[in-house]
Amino acid sequence: MTAVSDDGKRFKRSGRDRHATGNVPLRMRFGVIMRSMWQQSGGRFALIVMACWIAVSLLSLFWTPYPLLQTDGGHAWASPSAAHPLGTDGVGADVLSWLMAGSRTNLVIALLTMLVSAMIGLACTAVMVSGRRALASAGVVVVDALIAIPTVLLALLFAVPFGASIAVIVAACGMTYGLNMARIVKPSASLAARSAYVQAARAMGVSAWRVFFTHIVPSTFPVLAVQLSMSAGTSILAEAGLTYLGVGVPSGVPSWGHTLTTSVRLISVYPLTVLWPGLTVTLVVTALYLLGDAIRDCADPLANVELRKLAATVSRQTHNTGVDA
Amino acid sequence: MNRTDMKDAMAQDVDVATRPQLATSGEILRVRDLSVQIADKTVLDDVTLDIGASERVGLIGASGSGKSMLVKAITGLLPRAARVGGDITMGGTRLQAGDDAAFAALRGRYVGLVFQNPGAALNPVLSVEQQVCLPLRLHYDLDAGERRDRVMTMLERVGLPASLAGSYPHELSGGQQQRVGIATALITSPRLIIADEPTTALDAIVQRSIIDLLVSLVESAGASMLFITHDFAVLSRATTRCMVIDRGRIIETGDTAALLHDPRQPQTRLLVNAAKTLTLNVNPEHHHA
Repeated sequence: MTAVSDDGKRFKRSGRDRHATGNVPLRMRFGVIMRSMWQQSGGRFALIVMACWIAVSLLSLFWTPYPLLQTDGGHAWASPSAAHPLGTDGVGADVLSWLMAGSRTNLVIALLTMLVSAMIGLACTAVMVSGRRALASAGVVVVDALIAIPTVLLALLFAVPFGASIAVIVAACGMTYGLNMARIVKPSASLAARSAYVQAARAMGVSAWRVFFTHIVPSTFPVLAVQLSMSAGTSILAEAGLTYLGVGVPSGVPSWGHTLTTSVRLISVYPLTVLWPGLTVTLVVTALYLLGDAIRDCADPLANVELRKLAATVSRQTHNTGVDA
Repeated sequence: MNRTDMKDAMAQDVDVATRPQLATSGEILRVRDLSVQIADKTVLDDVTLDIGASERVGLIGASGSGKSMLVKAITGLLPRAARVGGDITMGGTRLQAGDDAAFAALRGRYVGLVFQNPGAALNPVLSVEQQVCLPLRLHYDLDAGERRDRVMTMLERVGLPASLAGSYPHELSGGQQQRVGIATALITSPRLIIADEPTTALDAIVQRSIIDLLVSLVESAGASMLFITHDFAVLSRATTRCMVIDRGRIIETGDTAALLHDPRQPQTRLLVNAAKTLTLNVNPEHHHA
């Protein structure tokens, strides 16, 4: 809501406004972050693996070497060859095609788990650092109690009424990782909530919610980045485990866990068929963990001097342009 | 319009034209019988004070006397557990304890705060420009260009080069950080500036320049100021009238120079003597003799 003062200038009656974004264009900021990540060996590895993962997921929507449902009983458990670069599984289906198609399922699971765990984690953190002492204490007790429930048990509980599905994996992983995240982020969020700059922000009339999202959450960014990437990585491991237990991805839906499950039964006879999905999972999970570390180091203006230089340059350029104009 | 004319016009614009038209009379702040209790401990006891238009009033007291609590009570930033009694009227609006929305609407727009420790009061992940711009984003519906012009003008007025606009707080000196704090408090041209021991964390030379800057900006903006300190030397430079607070009560009020020269209450005498001995480098016993 705005009002007009005597000179026609508009001023707001309430403290609500658009989210305070940085003055550096997002595109430039993203470019600097990417360049900084590329300069780190871990960051470069993570970026390459992530790019391949996303590219393969998109490609698999349109093309796989063989249709997923095409089987060749005469060539079950075939070794890698020109026709089947990664061999075939127990029903003669092409392993590469199933891994390619599985990558998109795992990408969706990782992204959704990150989203759900971020929402649950930040909501719990907001409650735990709330100015209302009773609410904050209750929040800590509830989080501590719920955090004791293991992911597998939660997935089994969800699977009883809803059946095995991707939603069950996302709900179980999102909830447990979100609660873990809240517990880990809470100390730095509490420090920020008690800081003088949060007091100063409130003294400017910033609302409690806005203070949380623009002053407290950014200060927890290093912890948050690592925790979110770990949530994504661990969700891939959990998908494999839960699918093996029969409460994960339903049969017929391609996923890395599904490929592992079908080949693990004959691991002693055909170890190579387990190697490919196992290697893929290990590679992607490692890349996700390294990605979190790289984002923590490169996207935080306090840690990355290049971002600070960019802010100073943009500020100088905009000022010069503004004055000259 | 040349560059200087444009800046002068903008400075005037920031100072007067966009100031919120809330106050209906010369009275900026009126506090009556304000009492605050936290966990059965009385931190403020029947505090009554008035600040008129363009007045610079000091509030002095020893550590733990209730100075900062009074600021928090006036700005509605007390902890939720606090029990508040009495009346606060600001800009013609009578404020009820617990009415967060009413306090929040005045904070940053009608009343600006300058904090004690500038390094801690600035958000470490926001650049100087973002910090100073925040009250404008909150309270004014200006486009990005207008906001930017105002921020740059304000930075120039507090003596900071435009090249520092993209810097982060940890890249600035203590004096520069406090200048950013002052710019943030004054950017919306509030009617009342509350400076809560703004020079405590600074060395003597920077203290002097910050006080002079604050006083000149407040005077040129025609705003009022409540200056809180425990240092009489600082107070005599920044204010014309002052109040002494002790254990949550206002025990003495008067002209700053007169109070410094002839304190009536024992607690005030103690503070004045300490100031004369430590800061003004005068031996009070010798002086009296």
